[in-house]
Amino acid sequence: MAETKFIIGMRDAFFDALYRLAREDKNVVVITADNGAPSLDKFAQTLPGQFFNVGIAEQQMFGMACGMAFEGKKVYCYAIAPFVTTRVHEFIKLDVCAMNLPIVALGVGAGYAYDIMGPSHHTVEDIAIMRVQPNLKIYSPADSTCAAALAEISCRDRSPQYIRFDRAGIPNLYDDNVNVSGGLLNPIESDGDICIISTGIMVHQAVKVATKLAEIGISAGVSDVCRLKPVNIEALLDLVGNVRGVVTLEEHYLAGGLGSMIAEIFVDGNIFKPLLRIGQADRFVFDYGGREAIWEKYGLDVESVVGRIEHWYDRLLGKKRVQMREAIL
Amino acid sequence: MIDHEYLEGRAQWVRQKVVEMAVRVNSGHISTAFSQAELIVALYHGRMLNYDSKRPQWDGRDRFILSKGQGGIGLYPVLADVGYFPLSELDLFAQRGSILGVHAEWNVPGIEVITGSLGHGLPMATGMAEAARLDGKQHFIFCLLGDAELYEGSNWEAATVACHQKYGHLICIVDRNGQGTIGKTDDIRAPADGPRLNPLDEKFKAFGFEVRSIDGHSFSEIFSCLKNFRERPLVGKPLIIIAHTKKGKGASLMEDQRLWHYRVPKGKDFEAVLGDLRAKSGSSERDVKGAGSSKGGY
Repeated sequence: MAETKFIIGMRDAFFDALYRLAREDKNVVVITADNGAPSLDKFAQTLPGQFFNVGIAEQQMFGMACGMAFEGKKVYCYAIAPFVTTRVHEFIKLDVCAMNLPIVALGVGAGYAYDIMGPSHHTVEDIAIMRVQPNLKIYSPADSTCAAALAEISCRDRSPQYIRFDRAGIPNLYDDNVNVSGGLLNPIESDGDICIISTGIMVHQAVKVATKLAEIGISAGVSDVCRLKPVNIEALLDLVGNVRGVVTLEEHYLAGGLGSMIAEIFVDGNIFKPLLRIGQADRFVFDYGGREAIWEKYGLDVESVVGRIEHWYDRLLGKKRVQMREAIL
Repeated sequence: MIDHEYLEGRAQWVRQKVVEMAVRVNSGHISTAFSQAELIVALYHGRMLNYDSKRPQWDGRDRFILSKGQGGIGLYPVLADVGYFPLSELDLFAQRGSILGVHAEWNVPGIEVITGSLGHGLPMATGMAEAARLDGKQHFIFCLLGDAELYEGSNWEAATVACHQKYGHLICIVDRNGQGTIGKTDDIRAPADGPRLNPLDEKFKAFGFEVRSIDGHSFSEIFSCLKNFRERPLVGKPLIIIAHTKKGKGASLMEDQRLWHYRVPKGKDFEAVLGDLRAKSGSSERDVKGAGSSKGGY
């Protein structure tokens, strides 16, 4: 069967790559809780016994996955991100992680990807709640090339995993040879003033922010934590050793998210590095008008992020930084 | 045919062991272990299950899921008695270094999956049934559920799938003791009683199960109900057996009483319980002194 013609996002890139593996291994099974994808149709049409729709029943999806994985299957459970994380968290805890079974939760629509659909579909707590579960690996690809690469990595690995996809229409940051196995990618090398550490769609925002910062004399690298758990701590510490300060940028609650993880790593490693965490505060979002409207209102748009980093960096350097800027201007 | 008198003796022995284990650590769900005792003994001592206690992972075994994980204390003596692990392990129940905890965990030889949070066993059982069918395996999947566990909605998600997919080798048994932690499921008289579960048989029939009701304390009814079950087709209606039982069966002060879900008998209560059990089994076996007075309940 032909590849999905219109690659609309990382989810479809992932399923296309997974399909190639599933054709060769009948133990690879996909269960969906009534969530579809153009790239998923060929599983249903051509791989009988490897595709199941249990209906809108996420507890059943993970419980059934547990039974199948227990018997030797490699099971992928697919739904919108909140429904494979918050909705079924105890099944993730007990049936997947505590039993350490080869089950991969696939959540589409991380962050505010389902922007106008309200808090029921927003997923800005998944990193916080999923990363506490022992045995679980967490991936957060920033584009379709990373997502496609994760198909083989996830299939080979017998650990419980969670992959959070964005929704659609995101341009590629990397080429097809991207190597995500190290868990950390550096779209812009950090060898100057600061490093912006991000994940998922926010890596794209970080690249734009870095470009703007360069215009006002702040040199910023950008790092993409495509594997959130376990984080590649060694690579991360190498990275931050070269810069004056670190910024984390995430479309997730500040509580428990990427910024929290970095702060924990700093504290545990006695790393005394200035850290600015940018993300969502302690609130639900009922604003409509699209993802950019949400970003603008809550300070996650490029201009707001640049402003916050500039202000923070000025204070970090004190007068010296102001003099430097005056010299540039 | 296994002698029913022998099996009745094993069920009484299980109850005695359960009391000893619970009293030793002042913890454990005694009354639920008493309601399921004959069912578990029939499955293992009665050889309804295909198993090899020396090879717990033998692929041809029937899978047994104790979805009502709090009944672990009642399963351990049976597993030990049929050879999965030494009987001496029972003496360490819930103590430092023991493999046996209050809820059934998969680190215990003979126990397949983690239970303890209710509503997980049946979804898991559907996955095992599906995997077995995909791989052309003929073993059966047994799932023992508590009736109050059926308040958990995930069971009904699983029931929908099990009946749609026609898992003919799935056999569910409901320990229908009519009681949850603090209240009754159907004999609704107290404010703490739960919402009514009945008509349970009609509900399961409507989902597509074959439903049979039995006295869950009668070996003849259990065996008669399961007679020829191996002839059931791989693709067909899953079977659900509603086994009517009494919570605390065998100890007159506990039977059907609301207080005893998680209460351990002490002092005169302990003597009374052991007296009842000994009267039935004719055994004087005992190695624990239940001093003090009964506490707790939930």
